[in-house]
Amino acid sequence: MIIDSHTHIDEAPAYGWFDPPEAIIRLMDEAGIERSVAMTYRDAPGPEERVIEYVAEAVQRYPDRLIGYARMNPRYGDEAVELFDRAIRDYGMRGLKLHPVTYVMHPASEPTLALVRHAASLGVPTLFHCGDEDFTLPLQIAEAAGAVPDARIILGHMGGYFHVRDAIRVARRYPNIILETSAMPYPRLIREAVDAIGAERVLFASDGPGCDPLLETEKVRRARLTPEQEEMLFHTNIERLLGDVV
Amino acid sequence: MWSRSEREWSGPLFDAHVHVGRSLFGLEQSVDDLLASMDGAGVTRAVIVPFKPPAYELGPENDRIARAVREHANRFHGFARVDPWQREGALAELRRAHRDLGLQGLYLHPSEEQFAANDELVFPLLAYLQEHGLPLLLAGGYPGYAHPSQVGDLARQFPEVTIIVTHGGQLNISGLLLGDAGQMLRAHPNLIMETSGIYRQDFIEDTVAELGAHRVLFGSNAPAMDQGFESLRVRLAHLSDTDKNAIAYGTMARILGILDDVRSG
Repeated sequence: MIIDSHTHIDEAPAYGWFDPPEAIIRLMDEAGIERSVAMTYRDAPGPEERVIEYVAEAVQRYPDRLIGYARMNPRYGDEAVELFDRAIRDYGMRGLKLHPVTYVMHPASEPTLALVRHAASLGVPTLFHCGDEDFTLPLQIAEAAGAVPDARIILGHMGGYFHVRDAIRVARRYPNIILETSAMPYPRLIREAVDAIGAERVLFASDGPGCDPLLETEKVRRARLTPEQEEMLFHTNIERLLGDVV
Repeated sequence: MWSRSEREWSGPLFDAHVHVGRSLFGLEQSVDDLLASMDGAGVTRAVIVPFKPPAYELGPENDRIARAVREHANRFHGFARVDPWQREGALAELRRAHRDLGLQGLYLHPSEEQFAANDELVFPLLAYLQEHGLPLLLAGGYPGYAHPSQVGDLARQFPEVTIIVTHGGQLNISGLLLGDAGQMLRAHPNLIMETSGIYRQDFIEDTVAELGAHRVLFGSNAPAMDQGFESLRVRLAHLSDTDKNAIAYGTMARILGILDDVRSG
């Protein structure tokens, strides 16, 4: 059983994205992945309408395959928090996604923390893009983890190419940080993360369909984990994080 | 949807980018370890290059590469590594490595040796490669040193030198450099992208579709990266066996002019 904790669905001509749900479903089938957490490339609120609805409709179409996260823009302040609240309560989203590069804001800025706090109060996790560019570095996101200790914060890509060690450092410091394996190219650093913070706090994800889910599963299988640890990365950790949804 | 058997390809691989020796930065790979790794991953040949060594001296490392090639001529091809900041000394070392050691190309790492890929410092080295028809393997994608625009600028000024740029020329996990890397490859037909650690798998597939499989080749950057895992980027790609054969082997063999030797056995 495999659940992919980070994939994308979106159709946004303004940005050149065309990844309808069928694109990731096809790659999931090739990789033997049962379910995927799916989110847009666009943020809500924003100039484009129906971003949350787009994910909700995809989940409705593939209820056994997709789990929705709401990707939000904190710059909208209260409007963003209110929309996020509806996304969880009315549209069946199960988490918050933040990509600070798209809205150009520090991950520990007050408007961001308002959303992260709200996610925590609703009992859903926050997935941050966490790579090598400004506003997405592990040490920057760690400030948000420190400011909202009851939030469960997932570092997507676990620091990218050059900041994986920082991601492991901040995960040791803050027990509410969880690392996620997508796109980061080093199998041995997955093993290093598991040794450092425990397999309970590491999630498998692909960042598909741009990254290939089959290839990404092979990366975890080459991290020299025990079968029990693999099970945790592949599904039991995300099942626990998302509660009764899966 | 592709079936698992349609995706898996088990042909031989030519790894264009492997390090042998001991690195200042804590990595190490012996010839025996490398041969075992190659056997496990189905890699029949590899281009081996020096690490930046703890002693900072690249000359003895080029000697080490040449020795390994002599001892395993059917498995290894060696590229020399020099530090362009050594100026005349770098050119002299390249000449020695080519003439006396028989190494078949040059490896440059702009980030580790701290020069911009398009700095005038490297021009005498590129002129030597051009004069002798030798390829360049360039560590690409490092911010400030080997941005796709800098690598492209170098390729523009030496259009007759085949430049293999590692990591697809871009190391950025949010995809911000994909557009730059695409521009770079489109504009300069003498550039070939190597696949190690690449973001994302569809960048390999899309580049083959747009520019052809002869513009893409397999490299692992082992041992910093995992040779077995890296081989899967080619083995599992959504590409035809013909394209995979070119990426995995044919393109590198053509660059080194050994295609006929390989075919005949």
